[in-house]
Amino acid sequence: MSSAEDISQMFRSEYLKLQNKIDAANAETDMSVHEIIETYYQVMNVSSMATMLKQQTESNELLDQIQETERLISKKFNSILHPKIMANLSAAIQEMTKTLQSENSTENSKEQIESTAKLFEELRQKMSTKEFIEQYDAGISHD
Amino acid sequence: MIESLAKNLVTLKKDFSKSYDGKSQIQEVIPKSNSELFPIMNSHLDSLHQFATKNPIYYNFFEKKICSVDCVVYEGDINKFWLNSIQHISSKAPFSPTWMMSGYIAALFAKELGYSEVIDIGSGDGRIAFCAKILDMESHSIEIDSMLVDLQKLLSDKLDFHPYCSDAVNFDYDSLHLRHPIFFIGGLAQMGGTALAEGVLQKINSISYLENNSGWVFTGTFSQKYTPDPRNEAGWGTLIAKNNLKSIQTISLPTAWTFHEPDPTPYIFSQSI
Repeated sequence: MSSAEDISQMFRSEYLKLQNKIDAANAETDMSVHEIIETYYQVMNVSSMATMLKQQTESNELLDQIQETERLISKKFNSILHPKIMANLSAAIQEMTKTLQSENSTENSKEQIESTAKLFEELRQKMSTKEFIEQYDAGISHD
Repeated sequence: MIESLAKNLVTLKKDFSKSYDGKSQIQEVIPKSNSELFPIMNSHLDSLHQFATKNPIYYNFFEKKICSVDCVVYEGDINKFWLNSIQHISSKAPFSPTWMMSGYIAALFAKELGYSEVIDIGSGDGRIAFCAKILDMESHSIEIDSMLVDLQKLLSDKLDFHPYCSDAVNFDYDSLHLRHPIFFIGGLAQMGGTALAEGVLQKINSISYLENNSGWVFTGTFSQKYTPDPRNEAGWGTLIAKNNLKSIQTISLPTAWTFHEPDPTPYIFSQSI
């Protein structure tokens, strides 16, 4: 069984990981699908921990940390970074779709077709990432 | 014989997928000529090769010996059809084909069951309807996506498998004057297939001479990606029970979407109780 101090340290460590991810994401103009997924998972991970610990702890220090975390998620992530990621993804999907629609595949070589297929794969990844993010968005809209 | 053809095709696919190092989005294999493992008329195999050679979804082919059978491998790309289908809400499930050989074996089984017509619902490039025509059955191919129907028209010049661009749920089946049809439902139950099948079943059950006189083939899956149906049948158990159908036999066959997976696609043949 972990002590209250261990739990507090663990939560602090996850909070710092999240803060680093948010700072890194803010500094980047074009996040990769992998970076986006990692950031959202960390947000959900820390949010779940905060919800659970809030009900269990009596430590004022931990409650303060939880409040700080909730502020970080609400003010920096939900209000700024999350809408920015959604907008960037939508724009990238629109742009890629337009490019791929204008491709004339009928006269392409085997190599060209297989190279374009990679772009289609990338488009599919971006679209499923957007779906995942939209689910997160629906979740925070109902909070 | 049909069961062993299906089993041999699954073995062929497994062997091929282990050694395939190409980069194509889809790929499939057709034996060059009849053999001990595939005792199929050469004229039928020739028709399958003609369909693949003429079909613009395939951009490359080469010969390869697989499981001691001389085969032709066809490499293809269906991305532009996928892109088109997601632009229009018309299509519930994006186009992904079964193998030509699978379509042929499934049609062969439908013929052995005594059905006289194959109606391919959500037919993609129309290959199951085409295979039925090779076997001298009558066939009709119903597809909602106009880009795919244009492709079917290109492929149906020699063997007319009657492509129709229509929403299968609103199609006038009475106009086809069917005698003893079997309906192939394209699309997994979990990918909009249930709604499609329910709609077509309702239409057919409203035609008295077809209500208890039609066969149904459902495209199933045992993939853990999908929630299993409480009554099984590879996702179709509830629909089968609800519509007073009974499963006659399940034949598992290779498809484009299971190429990288260990299990083939189960096709559930069923009819009225």
